[in-house]
Amino acid sequence: MSCTKEKTDYEAEINTVVTEHYEFKEAAAINSNGYHISIEALNGTFYKGYNEIRLKISGDHTNEDVSAVTFLPIMTGADDSRISCPHRYDMVYNADAGYFPGYAVFTSESSANETWELYISFTINNQIHSVKQTITVQEQPNKNLNMTAFTGKDGEQYIIALVSPQKPKVAENELIAGIYKFNQPASPPSGSFPDPSQFSYTAVSNYTLQLDPRMPEPSMGNHSSTNNKDLTQQSDGLYYGVVNYTMTGNWTLNFIMLNQNGKILKGTEVPTDFTPGVEGVKSELYIDILF
Amino acid sequence: MNANAQNTQAQKDTTKMLEEIKVIAIAKKKIQTEMKMAVTVDEFLASSDNISFIKRGAYAWEPLLNNMSSERSTITIDGMHVFGACTDKMDPITSYVESNNLSAVDIKSGQEGSLHGATVAGSIDLKRKSTPFSPEKKYNGAYQTGFEFNNKQFFNLGNLSYASDKFVADGSISFRKAGNYYDGNNNEVNHSQYNKFNTSVGLAYKTSPFSAVRVDAIFDKAKNVGFPALPMDMWLSRAIITSASYKQLFQHGLIRVWDTKVYYNAVEHYMDDTHRPENLVHMDMPGWSTTYGLVSRANLKRGDYSAEIQLNAYHNLSIAEMRMYPQDRSKRTMFAYSWPWVTTRFTSLAMNNSWDISENSRVNFGGSLGYNYNRSKYVEFNWIFHPGTQQEKSRILPGLHANYQLTVNQFNFSAGGGYGHRAPSVSEGYGYYIYNSFDRYDYIGNPDLKNEISYEANASAGFKNEKIGIEAKVNYFYIQNYIIGRILSLGSPMNYQSVGVKGYTSLDHARLFNMALNANYNILQHLHWKGTLTYARATDDKGGNLPFIRPLSYQTSLHFMYKKIGFQTSLNGDLTQINYSPEYGEDQTPAYMIWNISADYSFHIKNCKTVLQVGAENLLNEYYSTYADWGNIPRIGRNIFTSLKFSF
Repeated sequence: MSCTKEKTDYEAEINTVVTEHYEFKEAAAINSNGYHISIEALNGTFYKGYNEIRLKISGDHTNEDVSAVTFLPIMTGADDSRISCPHRYDMVYNADAGYFPGYAVFTSESSANETWELYISFTINNQIHSVKQTITVQEQPNKNLNMTAFTGKDGEQYIIALVSPQKPKVAENELIAGIYKFNQPASPPSGSFPDPSQFSYTAVSNYTLQLDPRMPEPSMGNHSSTNNKDLTQQSDGLYYGVVNYTMTGNWTLNFIMLNQNGKILKGTEVPTDFTPGVEGVKSELYIDILF
Repeated sequence: MNANAQNTQAQKDTTKMLEEIKVIAIAKKKIQTEMKMAVTVDEFLASSDNISFIKRGAYAWEPLLNNMSSERSTITIDGMHVFGACTDKMDPITSYVESNNLSAVDIKSGQEGSLHGATVAGSIDLKRKSTPFSPEKKYNGAYQTGFEFNNKQFFNLGNLSYASDKFVADGSISFRKAGNYYDGNNNEVNHSQYNKFNTSVGLAYKTSPFSAVRVDAIFDKAKNVGFPALPMDMWLSRAIITSASYKQLFQHGLIRVWDTKVYYNAVEHYMDDTHRPENLVHMDMPGWSTTYGLVSRANLKRGDYSAEIQLNAYHNLSIAEMRMYPQDRSKRTMFAYSWPWVTTRFTSLAMNNSWDISENSRVNFGGSLGYNYNRSKYVEFNWIFHPGTQQEKSRILPGLHANYQLTVNQFNFSAGGGYGHRAPSVSEGYGYYIYNSFDRYDYIGNPDLKNEISYEANASAGFKNEKIGIEAKVNYFYIQNYIIGRILSLGSPMNYQSVGVKGYTSLDHARLFNMALNANYNILQHLHWKGTLTYARATDDKGGNLPFIRPLSYQTSLHFMYKKIGFQTSLNGDLTQINYSPEYGEDQTPAYMIWNISADYSFHIKNCKTVLQVGAENLLNEYYSTYADWGNIPRIGRNIFTSLKFSF
């Protein structure tokens, strides 16, 4: 007897919403003075939000000869304003992996008015090479890698970007996020463009990101879950916590960000009562996800 | 109940034997109550003194045996395990059969019922009709139609059988259609309608003078069934229940009958909340349950000793989904499993023995040993509340029981005891946000629940002569690790109507006591009186009341026959529910009393026996609901029923 309604193919169901990328492919390449500089990202694409980056320089040299590798993404706006985004500026070669690991948290997508360029410099045999390349930053279709930018109560500019999981499960998921702060330049630009001191971001230290995940749909009545853990910083600089999703669908990660002294910099407590028919109230600091 | 069917050599006619071998005498009830000849399976079961019902509407009542919910009993059809596909228990097994394809219901209390599988409360085995082989060709049939005025229920039931020396065929078909019923205040109870279609076929072939094969199938389809006490209705449920069996009789030796059956059944159940405008959220909740299995039994007899040995094995897969739709339907739906593909495999070997120690005393004893295995395919759903719990779980389920019966002149006595384990049900172990509209909580299963362990004692005493019969029965259960839902302080509800989350947990123990007093008196040759009084009490480990325990209840009836006319009247009711349980969502149910009356007239049209019956249930149109009515939904008010039955 065949069924009247088909059973849900659960694995396929999640796959249609979320595409998980595993493979690093070349997203940008620069040829300069006989050197080939390859910048790899997941799926060969730069997306808005957090991007892990692998930089490789090939040519007539050994990687040990390469030193002082720097990486700086800069976005030029319509009014010629220039800003950067959280990134790893000084890159250190990882001999085991065979590349220079880094990251960039692009804060906007490329458009007619907003152009992203990568400024890369490196030294081989005491000779400094500086190159730049225009790249395309695309919209991140996976909401599980969303990001948010905001100003904290301390007046600083912050960015929170989700790093993992790319593809959550109905389960306890390890939630990884980067929290970055723009370092206001202490002095005006100097030297030739770009002056890195004008475009400096750092991962903040010993902050806490309090987490309260909820389903915002009115029909879900502010549904939440148990066994969630606030995000705290680990040795790689990223922030780790646990989010427990009880079903697939839309979730809001409500955050409260505390600095190293436990002072609230952003975020508000959300109501915890079950309110069927009412859209869930969000914290002033939140990121929406979907799976 | 002829235990000596084999005065054999002379009697070569297995036709008779197939029918008569009942090595252990079992009191079976015919599918008909005294009040009403055209009963539903539910109405019939309700006439048994150790069965009560949780009712969510007019259809598909959940049978409670010894005041325990259906997880605690094994409910089978001819020994076959069938599991409902609804997480809300809207489809107990009894809803997938019809009175015209059943011949009897075999109810056993407590561990005596462990023959069909591990149990605490006992077993309910629904026996299908099976016509015996006949030396001369024979056709039998019946057709019954009727109308019930309260809910405009119209039903047609037909069955036909053919029997010859080598071949037997049984078939039945039934249609029932009912509208909303009206309560005792003449208010319509919305969403109480139902439609049911059921058909069955059975074919048997005699392969040798002492062996036969039989194949059976039941198809049942219910559509547009309202559940007034739930926030949703049922759009469709379908079941196909099939089996093939081989039966071998033996003329000599210890083993007299060996009967082996393989079976397969599939149940699907789809809920529908689109007829409830109060639901802000639309939700699909389909469920599927597929079971295949084997049941093999042998009947043994030597001298004063007889026994049944039964091997049970089955494999069940239960799946239930929840898909919630956001207000903006173009947006993503939200999805979770309420049964995350839960597999149950069960095997047991059970034996019941009976030994006539003397002419007036007998010992019954037996036991079973079961192995229960569960696996949750999408165990991540179980990890939400029970992080890291094992995906697979095995349990050993032993059971033992013994009983001594003594007859002294017109008095009879019995005393017995039992011990047995049961495994948590799929919902208790692996359920995920199963909404229970009685207490309005979402329920979460716990895969690591311990086995429920029952210690039971029972006794009875009776007196019987030609005019008077009276019998008192008591049983007492001390149940360790009693499984029940407890409020979880953490977690928030998922279902729209829910007020909180409960997790299935084990109480240290619970105690249940059941008592029934039955009496009958033949006032005149054609005037009979019968009465029943039942009482039950159940407490948890802190002395608090358990829910769904029937208050003191009574039933008394008079039956009078004059020539071809029969006349019955009965009173039944419950007293006020004193020991109710607010903690588990109950409020106090007031007392009620119902008066029923019916008359029938039997006559022949040629060779066709015809019975015409007219009657009224709840003649005084009392407005009431019982302790077990989900959400205090009022029961049906005055209901005049008529039925006409032809049989040949």
